[in-house]
Amino acid sequence: MSEEPSSPPANTPDRAAGSVQAVYDRIADHFASTRAYAWPEVESFVTTIADNEGLGRALDLGCGNGRHTELLAEHGADAIGVDVSRGLLSTAATRQRDHGFAAGLVQGDAATLPFADATFDQIVYVATLHHLRPEATRRQSLAELGRLLRPGGLALVSAWSTAHDRFDAERSFDTTVEWTLPGGETVDRYYHIYDPDAFRAALNASDTIEPLVVAVSSGNCYAIVTTTDGDATPDWPVESVL
Amino acid sequence: MVMKESLMDILCCPVDKHDLELTVDTKDDEEIIEGTLTCTECGEAYPIEDGIPNLLPPDMRDEAAA
Repeated sequence: MSEEPSSPPANTPDRAAGSVQAVYDRIADHFASTRAYAWPEVESFVTTIADNEGLGRALDLGCGNGRHTELLAEHGADAIGVDVSRGLLSTAATRQRDHGFAAGLVQGDAATLPFADATFDQIVYVATLHHLRPEATRRQSLAELGRLLRPGGLALVSAWSTAHDRFDAERSFDTTVEWTLPGGETVDRYYHIYDPDAFRAALNASDTIEPLVVAVSSGNCYAIVTTTDGDATPDWPVESVL
Repeated sequence: MVMKESLMDILCCPVDKHDLELTVDTKDDEEIIEGTLTCTECGEAYPIEDGIPNLLPPDMRDEAAA
């Protein structure tokens, strides 16, 4: 991404996931082509669990082109990818066909998820929370995360952080970041950039999840969370993953 | 892209979280290509298109790209 953040337009609609959906439908093919590989933090989370208790039924929430859905599936998870954008889900379906991995794909909203309680052993929720607005919707989404995890299940959560080199601010803020399509046309994407304290506060505000470790890595706020009703923690050091 | 029938065990209505009833229009073995998921509580119908169920809440469903 070579674009600079700019101020959001004054008439920004309040319920953002809809516009995020339209934006990603529009840039899906180009965006997907630039997101080939898994993030190291996600790879570490997935492989550590695979090497210890093993992966179970796993959700990739905000799956985009399915790179992390693939990572989960190839490490033995019964994997499901969810995204708000049908355009991105089509790129995930293409990736699935080309790379030959098994996973279910579902179109859904990260704050209003279509899964039964306690369905997933693991959830990967990276680079998605920051597209939701307002804060109440982000917190609703984190509450949904806890609802979907089976007791004691683990989720990896990330959001873009003020700690990233491209930002000067020390406190959380809303912004738009341009995506430049081949040919030069630009499309604005909404982001809420979390400062690490506010990220931690959002996690702590949910009565369904409990953060086990919160850290900044690669300019992102990261956390590994579990359910508040779980009675066991992993027997591997969670802080070693981030 | 196809939707496996086993997915029905974990899907629910995004709005009220009640069970969904599956109607299949096009199927290939145990894999659903086109169909409808209907909430057993509120009656909302969610389409399955190209093997991917669209379970966005109704107020977000029509916000596709221009």
